[in-house]
Amino acid sequence: MTPWCALARVAAGLAGLCLLASAAGAGTSIHIFAAASTTDAVRAIAARYERGHDTRVRVVVAASSTIAKQIAAGAPADIYLSANVAWMDWLEDRGEIVPASRTVLLRNRLVVVAPEGGRELDALAELPAYLGDRRLAMGDPAHVPAGIYARDALRGLDLWSALKPRTAFASDVRAALELVAQREAAAGMVYATDARISDGVGVVAEVPQRHHAPIRYPVAIVDGRDRPAVRRVFRYLRGSEAAEIWREHGFVRADGT
Amino acid sequence: MVELSPIEVEALTLSLRVATWAVVGGLPLAMAVAWILARRDFPGKTLVDGLVHLPLVLPPVVVGYTLLVLFGRDGPIGAWLDATLGVTIAFTWQGAALASAVMAFPLMVRAIRLSLEAVDPRLESAARTLGAGRADVFATITLPLTGPGLLTAAILGFARSLGEFGATITFVANIPGETRTLPLAIYSLIQTPDGERGALRLAVIAVLLALLALAGSEILARRLRRRVAG
Repeated sequence: MTPWCALARVAAGLAGLCLLASAAGAGTSIHIFAAASTTDAVRAIAARYERGHDTRVRVVVAASSTIAKQIAAGAPADIYLSANVAWMDWLEDRGEIVPASRTVLLRNRLVVVAPEGGRELDALAELPAYLGDRRLAMGDPAHVPAGIYARDALRGLDLWSALKPRTAFASDVRAALELVAQREAAAGMVYATDARISDGVGVVAEVPQRHHAPIRYPVAIVDGRDRPAVRRVFRYLRGSEAAEIWREHGFVRADGT
Repeated sequence: MVELSPIEVEALTLSLRVATWAVVGGLPLAMAVAWILARRDFPGKTLVDGLVHLPLVLPPVVVGYTLLVLFGRDGPIGAWLDATLGVTIAFTWQGAALASAVMAFPLMVRAIRLSLEAVDPRLESAARTLGAGRADVFATITLPLTGPGLLTAAILGFARSLGEFGATITFVANIPGETRTLPLAIYSLIQTPDGERGALRLAVIAVLLALLALAGSEILARRLRRRVAG
């Protein structure tokens, strides 16, 4: 066997593996690009939908900003679910969504979490002292919706200048949650729904809602993707079966249910 | 035997597919570039050498973003590919393979170039004087003698591709079953509450895969050395 043959053999073996790999998975596939905070709920809804339909529903999660940029760059998203209105506006301004499909799906609220067993705060003004020499985890307020809400709330409470040097910015709200769950950050600002899904954290304070924009989750069909299979999933997200799952995960639907 | 979950199998096979195609596609080009760098002198050679090595020193996110700008829907190459061939690269596994190939390219070129430079040019001249054409000399003398270098390049490229993260997540995002390779799946799991166990399992799979590839390459390399020597 020449060296060439040896190489060819390796290549052939690997190519075989590849064929094996590409054989799996076919049929209609719908992509939901969703805000990180909705990860578990959207996955549960997608799984439930797949059980009753011959459709694959893939859920891609990251910060609303990250996926908005990906959609604008041509990512294969069919449905976009954002954690704030601004990023949906941003996509709509660029003609990347079907404006008529756009609707507000969910509401949420912000809380302060600390590693499990942490003392509850009497007032948010205690937060700087509460942190000690450690950090406050939150989404990067330059783009992550949860971080933007958190920064605006802290600004409204005149705490931002004191806390800003003490923050640890994360790439999305779940990364911020994880910093607290791992006890790397003394506290974090995340959604109430995030706090529920992690065993490692507890809510130590509510964040007053008057200083930040109302937390709303708009959803829309992506431009050029409006077809029956997508519409069915889109309707399902807003339907009664999904409503049950949204509720289980602590989300309040836009109509207050 | 530990059972792999469908998600783990998905990430694993995708990673193998991406890494394989990164090597299959990148190796011939790396060979050509290595040959030019090893055998030719031309103005601007240093510049070409530098460009080839850029992915090695640039932050991977820059490489990924550059690929997105060039190959994205509105990018010059991406728009052209879409218009002429109807092919989309960004946000597909093929894009992941491209990102991996670009990141692995300097490593492959270096390995091949070293072995090319070790080939005695007199062997090639001898073949030429005996009447062999350029292509013939390349196929019968140069290629076989650089076999070990090519193998090293393939293994290095494969390994680098398996571990690729920054350029991949920037260029093709993190789509389960399509672009979520092993490193991306691990990243997703460490951001999932109680995902640490899953992340650990995938990390163990990655380690086993690396050890397997290294052992395989070692065996092949030994065989190759024996063939070349004998």
